[in-house]
Amino acid sequence: MVFVAAILFMIFHQWASLTVSLAILMAMVLLLRLGLPWLNFFKGLGFAVLTFFVIAWLAFDFPTAVVSALRLLAMGSAFFLFFQTTPPEALSNALLKMGVPYPFAFVLSASIQFVPVLVRRLRNIRDAQRARGIPIEGGLSLLTHLPALAGPLLIQAFKFADELAEAMEARGFGIPGRRFRHVPRFRWMDWMAVIVSVAVLVMAFWNPCFIRG
Amino acid sequence: MILRFEGVSYRYSGAESWTLNGLDLTVHAGERVLIAGSSGSGKSTLCRACIGLVPHFHHGEWIGKVFVDGLDTTRHPVYELFRHAGLVFQNTDAQLFNQTVESELTYGLESLGLSHDEIEQRLDWASRLAELGDLMNRPPHFLSGGEKQRVALGSIIALRPRLLLLDEPFTHLDPQGADDLRRILRIMKSEGMALILVEHRLHEIIQDVDRIIVLHQGKIAAQGLPGQVLAREVSDYGLNLPPLVRLFREMGLKGRPLSLEDAIRELKDQNLVTPFSARLLEEASKFSISLPRTSPPIVEVENICFSYHGLPVLRNVHFKLHRGECVALVGRNGAGKTTLIKHLNGLLRPHSGCLKILGQETRGKPVSELSSHVGFVWQNPNDQLFQPTVREEVWTGPKALGFYDPSWCDELFTRFGLVSLLERSPFTLSEGQKKRVSFAAALAVKPELIVLDEPTAGQDESFRRELAKFIVELQREECTILLVTHDLEFAAEHANRWLVLAEGRIIADGPPEAVMADSKAMIQAGLRPTQGYQLLQALKKMKEDKA
Repeated sequence: MVFVAAILFMIFHQWASLTVSLAILMAMVLLLRLGLPWLNFFKGLGFAVLTFFVIAWLAFDFPTAVVSALRLLAMGSAFFLFFQTTPPEALSNALLKMGVPYPFAFVLSASIQFVPVLVRRLRNIRDAQRARGIPIEGGLSLLTHLPALAGPLLIQAFKFADELAEAMEARGFGIPGRRFRHVPRFRWMDWMAVIVSVAVLVMAFWNPCFIRG
Repeated sequence: MILRFEGVSYRYSGAESWTLNGLDLTVHAGERVLIAGSSGSGKSTLCRACIGLVPHFHHGEWIGKVFVDGLDTTRHPVYELFRHAGLVFQNTDAQLFNQTVESELTYGLESLGLSHDEIEQRLDWASRLAELGDLMNRPPHFLSGGEKQRVALGSIIALRPRLLLLDEPFTHLDPQGADDLRRILRIMKSEGMALILVEHRLHEIIQDVDRIIVLHQGKIAAQGLPGQVLAREVSDYGLNLPPLVRLFREMGLKGRPLSLEDAIRELKDQNLVTPFSARLLEEASKFSISLPRTSPPIVEVENICFSYHGLPVLRNVHFKLHRGECVALVGRNGAGKTTLIKHLNGLLRPHSGCLKILGQETRGKPVSELSSHVGFVWQNPNDQLFQPTVREEVWTGPKALGFYDPSWCDELFTRFGLVSLLERSPFTLSEGQKKRVSFAAALAVKPELIVLDEPTAGQDESFRRELAKFIVELQREECTILLVTHDLEFAAEHANRWLVLAEGRIIADGPPEAVMADSKAMIQAGLRPTQGYQLLQALKKMKEDKA
């Protein structure tokens, strides 16, 4: 569904429709009590939106800039909602159901899960480098001292990936005939979501007036 | 017989020397074996050979045969062997790859293709055994080190392998965590699983094993009952001997006691109680000569408070560090040790209270300025290495801080044995060598205070000896050392003062003997006095009883 929303946002080219969809998204954020995490997320996204806005304003005109900034914000929020509400396991189950082979689905969900681990490692690396007097204080200094951060992170990530692969092998990752404790199932809600998404998408492409209306 | 190695030799592809070199080995069902040896002696490779990762996952040159539960490992893939032999790896982070603790435990069971009922039953059994009851719905990556270790263990024992292997399981555990693990392993014994443990620090587990195998350069250098092996000349093999064995050896006594009771019995038998305790007391008093504290302090920490996500981590922490002291900061995992040391160079800032370095308030001073006075050697040297050569790695700090003293750097290269490695890439070095590089890099700016974060974790005896030598040299040069460690044996031997942190407070501060005598603080901080100290107290008590 989130992909459908993303496509919709790409087609929307009036600030009104984008504002409305953003308002709906915000209502969902508040309804799901994700206000605080969203603000944290916005700290990162806001910078990108602002840069995008300025560039679009300079390159095109003011309305284009507003629309593209809103579009980016709406898309970001939609993806934010998706990853906040969907546990990686549910994602991999859905993919399995769609016929994606098990190793791919598993690797996708596992890699999402390792994001916090890598973030923690990156924090350790940053602390270690700052403790040596390398002035990494954020902003531009992050870029100038990129090798000091990226070097150790990459090396550790490769080593980590190797160890992870070993550990997975050692618990029978490669075995044919895996049996699941909870068989992934599509409930009627899931089917409804699929039907609504497809319908909206078809309408959007079939009748451009719908978007403007 | 559960495991048999027949003339096994193996070298990793591209390696010159053989990591395993003509190994013959038999382990019987239900037996508990401790495999010891220095870094690079082939211990981890041996573990991987037991579950088929060598040679299936790591390619290379392989000679000989390994049988696990009667299966030839070269003929059966890893996914057929894993139900017979399970390995708990060293890095707990990399072996937890599921969303919750429960699915972590279920993963291997799903691989086995077990029925629903069987899965539920084993899940229940394993979670009870590994004491994971309350954690089942938590994501594994947000647990503490000790808890992660138990999850990793639980996920393996759920498979009910007949052989369980653990690769250096005690490295990152605090004394409480180590106790928990020992208790679980004792239960495993009663379940009839054979156990192979790899560990440098023999005293952690030696009382619970049936046999020790000493590995040296891929060969078995010695094996037998623990007492027998330690009675032989094993000092060349990089073993960290149990403290009482080391004590007896140093004092030139017969007998290799593993426990306090053994030691006292041994002394009584040899009729040496009185002369021995006199000597021990003499040694202890020699060590506890307090340093003159007349010089102004290097670091003054005054009533620091710090909270994280609204939870207090440090509460009114107050202490001073003086020139030339070697101070050990000890306490449980999660007591706030790391948070505290990160305040010393401004990586974290106190929410209240103040911190002075060389008499100057540090508020508002950038980390890059403070780090010329406070150097850090972190537990994992891989967090900092990024330069193409060892030389540039060591020069990084001095260049960033605008302090470069070539003769001092040359002195460091010699002292840390890096002269022949200067043009090598730091990534190609062994872990012990990397640690030495990070040491030299931290000292290159001549800091007044150097913080060592778990310097002995995962290091073998030869590194411990080197480390002890470095500490003495640094103290002679009036550098102050702060040692953050779980390794109380090391801390008692080399630090002249202990700071005990519990729940964010300093609850004891003084010479090691004085702190260990404060049993209330020791219990509160989850610490146990060293065996040497316990022996001394027991002997003192015997003397009093006699009088």
